[in-house]
Amino acid sequence: MEAPMSFREKAAWIGLVSAVVCFGVYFGSIALHRISGRGPSAMHLMALCAAAYVALQGGLTFLAARATPGAGAPPDERERLIQARSHTLGYYLLTVLVVALGAPLHFGHPAPDILNFAMLDVVVAGCAVSIAQIVMYRRGI
Amino acid sequence: MAVPIANSIRRLRFEHGEMTQGELAEKIGMTRQTVAAIEAGKYSPSLEAAFRIAAVFGVGLEEVFQWQG
Repeated sequence: MEAPMSFREKAAWIGLVSAVVCFGVYFGSIALHRISGRGPSAMHLMALCAAAYVALQGGLTFLAARATPGAGAPPDERERLIQARSHTLGYYLLTVLVVALGAPLHFGHPAPDILNFAMLDVVVAGCAVSIAQIVMYRRGI
Repeated sequence: MAVPIANSIRRLRFEHGEMTQGELAEKIGMTRQTVAAIEAGKYSPSLEAAFRIAAVFGVGLEEVFQWQG
């Protein structure tokens, strides 16, 4: 029988879903704005999406903690290993993506674009950490 | 990938009053999912955790874990 998800696996799912939904809306809107030339202000949109991300992740984590026995317990050795491995992967991915920021700089993109690319790097690295955690939790390690 | 260490945790649990994975997890300070992963041979516990498991069943380490390499 498949064991139900631990609190930390639920937290990884929540982090991934929150990031994909909220920052998907943000980067999708930015892309549409670039194509059509119309859309909300990037600063307002960013504030809205960041607030939605915090609210969604906070709310879902609160609900998951209430629904999972032992949610407040410190991580055990396997969970710490999964966190360490996933964050190592995220660190290397973020390093590569930050170096790749040189490409838009080279092609003369304006500062707001560079800021959005940098934000995209952070979101992608964060999603990669969550995905790696989910895969390792599903596989056992 | 399965680790080259077999274990008798499932048998020992049932010999000890049909102890559940959750009960064993609580006794050794781990999550039920980690006990399930150890039992399925997907995760090799630390030496400390292995000794804790053996201590719960009151047996030696080699009765719980067997090297298959």
